Amino acid sequence: MTDPVVEVEGLWKTFGSVSAVEDLSFSIQRGQVYGLLGPNGAGKTTTLRVLMGLERPTRGSTRLFGTTVTPSSPELFRVGALVEQAAFVPHLSGMRNLALWWEAAGQHMRDADLDGALAIAGLGDAVHRKVKTYSQGMKQRLGFARLLLSRPELLVLDEPTNGLDPGEIREIRELIGRLTSHGATVLLSSHHLSEVEQVCSHALVMNHGRLITSGTVSELVGTTRSIYVEVDDRQRALAVLSGLPEVAHVQTQGDGLVMELVGGQRSDVAAAIVSAGLQLETIMPTQRLEDAFLDLLAAGDAARPQLHGTSPANSIGAN
Amino acid sequence: MISLIRTEFTKAAVRMRSLIIAVLLVGLPTLIVVAINARGDRPSRRGGEGDGLFRLASQSGLLVPAAVLSVTSGFLLIIIAGTLAGDSVASDSSWGNLRYVLMRPVPRGRLLAAKAFVAATLIWAATILVAVAGLVAGIAMFGVHAATVPGIGGIGGLGGGFTLTTGDLLVRVVAGTAYVAFGFTALLALGTLFSTLTDTAASAIGATIGVYIVSEILDSISQLGVARYGFPTHYLGAWEAMFTQNTYSRDMIAGVVVQLCYLVVFGTAALYWFKRKDIRS
Repeated sequence: MTDPVVEVEGLWKTFGSVSAVEDLSFSIQRGQVYGLLGPNGAGKTTTLRVLMGLERPTRGSTRLFGTTVTPSSPELFRVGALVEQAAFVPHLSGMRNLALWWEAAGQHMRDADLDGALAIAGLGDAVHRKVKTYSQGMKQRLGFARLLLSRPELLVLDEPTNGLDPGEIREIRELIGRLTSHGATVLLSSHHLSEVEQVCSHALVMNHGRLITSGTVSELVGTTRSIYVEVDDRQRALAVLSGLPEVAHVQTQGDGLVMELVGGQRSDVAAAIVSAGLQLETIMPTQRLEDAFLDLLAAGDAARPQLHGTSPANSIGAN
Repeated sequence: MISLIRTEFTKAAVRMRSLIIAVLLVGLPTLIVVAINARGDRPSRRGGEGDGLFRLASQSGLLVPAAVLSVTSGFLLIIIAGTLAGDSVASDSSWGNLRYVLMRPVPRGRLLAAKAFVAATLIWAATILVAVAGLVAGIAMFGVHAATVPGIGGIGGLGGGFTLTTGDLLVRVVAGTAYVAFGFTALLALGTLFSTLTDTAASAIGATIGVYIVSEILDSISQLGVARYGFPTHYLGAWEAMFTQNTYSRDMIAGVVVQLCYLVVFGTAALYWFKRKDIRS
């Protein structure tokens, strides 16, 4: 296996007596699309700021491409970042902003992937207007154009759809989807769980500055044992499923049935329904990432008093 | 570094504020020339060397820049210089753009140096602009002549009067303009430091100008004795003696030394702080 693109090891960041991040460790391999999940104040943005050299860690270290990050590390040239909202010099045009940002590091604009970045951002002629006339969605898209100028190997995106209307959110998600489909390594911080579920292959869950758990999104969602089925004859299915040893607490819900699995798999339930001559129309986990996330946070909160002052929860599934 | 300075210059200069300042700096000397012409050489009730320069100015257009600098360096140029210095880092912070420049990545020390250099350049440009505008307006109104400074009881003090040739006047206008511009070095250092301490441009600008206003107030209290010599505004007017007393005052050298001390102390503090601070804006 190659070196991880991102490595965070024993990271602590405190502001006075307040801990924003506590003993956080994780790593991201090339090509992975990682979601960094957590409620507001979980420490996500602080983690990304330390990763990008904007803040110094109180303890621990962050590495990009195997090199420890310090302010203005050369490795940052290989990263495209959108930390919190995209921000620009408001009295200059979008294009001027892109050029100034690029040339500030002493590089010529001809070396930038301007056409590719602008095509992905899709701003059209608006890129020549002053940024202060832009909507928040346009600024975010210009922010994506800026981070793509250098054809980055790693994208660090912090709440990229915050403050956007539903149409803009959809556009930005499609944009992220296009980028990930081209094999980019991505670290996406969000508290929009559907966003992470749609875009990410892996997820880290943080709360109170600590890592609660990490793994593939399907693993996190799959921790739930609750499933939902729709069949042509709900009453007969209720009787069939109630008799299965793998199933507990079957009850009707809407047009279907909800049940808890005890040891078995969804395929066992599907097989039983089909064997009984029923027509299976839908079978799916009732729990989405959102439910799993809330369960994890609740479990983390419950465990927090015992964890205080001892080894933090990041031993659970990190890396 | 040159490309960084160019980008910082564009951010600081290519904006409506610069146009307003430029109009002000060109327009004000014109108004002053009109006022001098209307008033002639009547002394005011207030007196002082600045007032003396106004009384002399109608003799030659080459004296008008001195009169203009005298009246603007005590307030207007301080406001402009304070704005440019205090705004240097804090404007990028307040826009939220600073983090993106640093993530580019641009080294922090280099960025601060570029921002301070651009602010200094614009301060010098503003000072030169107001002096040149005064020169043009003055020559247009009064022509180019030598000037005679009266002696006993007059502006030249208790000694005899003296005459400044056009060459003398021109050299002293250049020296005075340079001294006034350099006189904002302490303000530049203080403003840059304040600019790194806050994410709000208005706070940094207010603090910078506030320090100068307080310095001017304290400097007017003679009971403070030698302590006043260390104030950044104490020697700001030392250059006027070149026109009113026919001497390159020692105070000008002291003023340069004081400004350099502020530059070293507060410039170093700004650099130290900016390289270590957490960027949260």
